[in-house]
Amino acid sequence: MAPLVGIVANPVSASDIRRIVSNASTLQVTDRANIILRVLSALRACGVKDVLMMPEKSGIRRHITRAYERAVNLKEDIFPELHVVRQDITSTVRDTLLATAAMREAGCKIIIVLGGDGTHRAVVSQCGDIPIAGISTGTNNAFPEHREPTITGLAVGLAAMGRVPDTIAFEGNKRLDVTIGDTVKDIAIVDVAVVTERFVGAKAIWKPENFRELFVTFSDPEVIGMSAIAGLLEPVSRRDDHGLMVKLAPPHEAKTILNVPFAPGIIGGIGINEVQRMQVGVPYKLDFPAGTIALDGERELAFDQSDDVTITLVNDAFRTVNVSGIMRYASQNGLMKVGAQKQ
Amino acid sequence: MSNNPFPLPKEKLLEAYTKMKTIREFEERLHVEFAKGDIPGFVHLYAGEEASGTGIMMHLEDKDRIASTHRGHGHCIAKGVEVEGMMAEIYGKVTGSCRGKGGSMHIADLSKGMMGANGILGAGAPLICGAALASKFRGDGGVGITFFGDGASNQGTVLESMNLAAVWNLPVIFVVENNGYAESTSIDYAVAVDSYIDRAAGFGIPGVTVDGTDFFAVYEAAGEIIKRAREGGGPAFLECKMVRFFGHFEGDAQTYRAKGENEENRANKDCLKIFRSKVAGAGVISEAEMNKIDDEVLARIEASVQKAKKDPLPTAKDLLTDVYVSY
Repeated sequence: MAPLVGIVANPVSASDIRRIVSNASTLQVTDRANIILRVLSALRACGVKDVLMMPEKSGIRRHITRAYERAVNLKEDIFPELHVVRQDITSTVRDTLLATAAMREAGCKIIIVLGGDGTHRAVVSQCGDIPIAGISTGTNNAFPEHREPTITGLAVGLAAMGRVPDTIAFEGNKRLDVTIGDTVKDIAIVDVAVVTERFVGAKAIWKPENFRELFVTFSDPEVIGMSAIAGLLEPVSRRDDHGLMVKLAPPHEAKTILNVPFAPGIIGGIGINEVQRMQVGVPYKLDFPAGTIALDGERELAFDQSDDVTITLVNDAFRTVNVSGIMRYASQNGLMKVGAQKQ
Repeated sequence: MSNNPFPLPKEKLLEAYTKMKTIREFEERLHVEFAKGDIPGFVHLYAGEEASGTGIMMHLEDKDRIASTHRGHGHCIAKGVEVEGMMAEIYGKVTGSCRGKGGSMHIADLSKGMMGANGILGAGAPLICGAALASKFRGDGGVGITFFGDGASNQGTVLESMNLAAVWNLPVIFVVENNGYAESTSIDYAVAVDSYIDRAAGFGIPGVTVDGTDFFAVYEAAGEIIKRAREGGGPAFLECKMVRFFGHFEGDAQTYRAKGENEENRANKDCLKIFRSKVAGAGVISEAEMNKIDDEVLARIEASVQKAKKDPLPTAKDLLTDVYVSY
C-alpha cells in the first residue's frame, strides 16, 4: 500500500544567528522526535497505516526507532508503519527538496512539515498539488500555525483517510514569485524582503536599518518576523486576494517609525515610507538598486543594478490542510466517535 | 555605491584569502613532506577547513586567546603565528616556534594569543576558560575561543567547561569544527545527541550552526558571537559544518569514507574555491590578483621548508631549558 502521508522534518531549523542576537528558542532534536511520535500516534488513530519520512542524520530517526522498539516491547499498536525515503543525506535544504519530490512520486496524499517558514517554502517548491500541513519548529514561523501537533496529526489523518470533504479539508494559498529577467528564480510563501546587505553570509536578517522593501502574501499582527511589519500596518488574511507591499527606510529617514517584533524578543523601530496593496498577477519592480533578497526570513539572492527584479503575487499557488476546519467538521459529524471510522 | 558587496574591505578580503591559501599550501606541502619520512611524530592536516579558522580569527586581536587542537596548523596561521617558525617546529628544529620541543601538536605563540595546539582531545576547553576568566577580571575586553572536533565534543572536559563558562558568564566561544568523523568514526555512531546546539542549550548557552565551507557565513556569525562575548554577553557555541580533505592523520588509509567522497569534497566543498568564486564573481578581487597571492604563498612555503630542513636540531643541553616556569 502506498504511504498516505509524508513527513518532512528539518533537523537543523532554529539554529541560526538569531539564537545569539535575539534569544530565539532552540528546539532540541529529542523534542522534534517527540513531536513526530505524537503525530504518528494521531495518524494511526485515524487509520493511517503507512507513513513515508525524510531521512536525516541528526538523530531524529534514531529516537523514533527507539520509541518503536519500546512500543513493540510493550505490545502497544500505536504507530503506523514507517518508511524512509532512500536518498543521499546532505544535511542541507537539498534533503527536503529531494524527499518532497519522492513523496510526490510515491503518491502521498498529504505532507506534514516540521520546520520554520524556510522549510515550508522548500517543500512548497516541490510538492505540486499535494496539500501540506505545517508544524512550527523554526524561528519566525509566520506560516505554520501554532497548535499541538497531535491535533495536526488527527486532522491530517482524517483528511488522508477521506473522511472530510476536500472543500473543507484543504485551502488554497498565495505565493510570491521572484523573477530576475525573464526567469522565476525563487519563491516565498510569506514574505520577500529587500535588505542592503549584498552577500548571503549567515542568511538571517536582523538589522532593521538595512531593511528597504517588503512584500507579503499575508500579514498578521500576531506573528513575528518581517511580515509582522505589514501585519501592524494592515492585516491581510491568507485568503484575501491581495498582498501588501511596504517601502522601508532607515528610521531617521522615514515618514513613520513603527515598533515591530521583527525577531523573537526584539521590538525595534522600523522606518515606513509607503504601504500599498499588491494585486495578484502584477509584477512589482524593486526600487532598491542592489542588495539581497530574503525569502521567508533568509537572505537567498544577491542582486545589483544589472538585474531586473520583479515580485509577483500568485493566488491558489499551493494547498494546505485546514486543521481547524477539519476538527470542527469532525466534531459536528461525530468522526471521533468509537466505531465511526469509515470501513 | 561601492562595488564591494562583502562585509570586509578589499584589503581585509585579500588578507583572509592569503591566510586561507597559506594554510592550504602549508598542509598540502606537509602531506608530501611527511611521506618522505623526515618529519618526526604525527601531523593532522587542516586542509579543507580553512574558512572556519580564518572566518573566526579575522575578528580577533593578539589579546584574544585561542586554544587549538591536534589539528592546529590552520588555527596557528589564522591567528598570526609565523609560518617559518611553525615549519621549523614541525621538523623539530631549534628555530621552531617552541624551539623544536613541541612539534606539530604543541605549537604555541603566546605573543599572538595562541595558547597551543593540543594533543589531548578536549583539553583546550578548560584552558580557554582560564584565559577568559583572566580577561574578565582584567576587563580588557579579550575573548577566548576553544576549538574542538565532533569527536572531542564528547569529552568531559568540554562539557565541564561549558558548564563553567555559563556559570561564570565567561567570554568564551566554543567552536566545534564538525568534519563528520571522530578520527575514523562517523558521528552517526558516536554521538548520542547529534545536535551540538542542543548540547549548548542544555547549559543555557546559545548556539549557531553555519556552513563552515563558506567564509562569509562563518565570518558574519562569528562576528556577532564575538562582539556579544566582548561586551559581557557571555559564552556562545558555534558549529562549523565542514569537510577535511585528508585523513585523520597522515598515513590514514581512510577506509571509512564512501567511495568518491574525497573527490566530491574537493570538487564542491572547497572553501577556497567558494571564496574565489564569490569575490571574483562580484568583481572585487580578480583571478590574477589571487593567482599572484598563490605564487607568493607557494614561494613562502617552499622557503620555509628549505630553511626548516637546514636549521639545526636542539642539542642535549637544551633538554631542560624552557621546560619549567617559575611563578
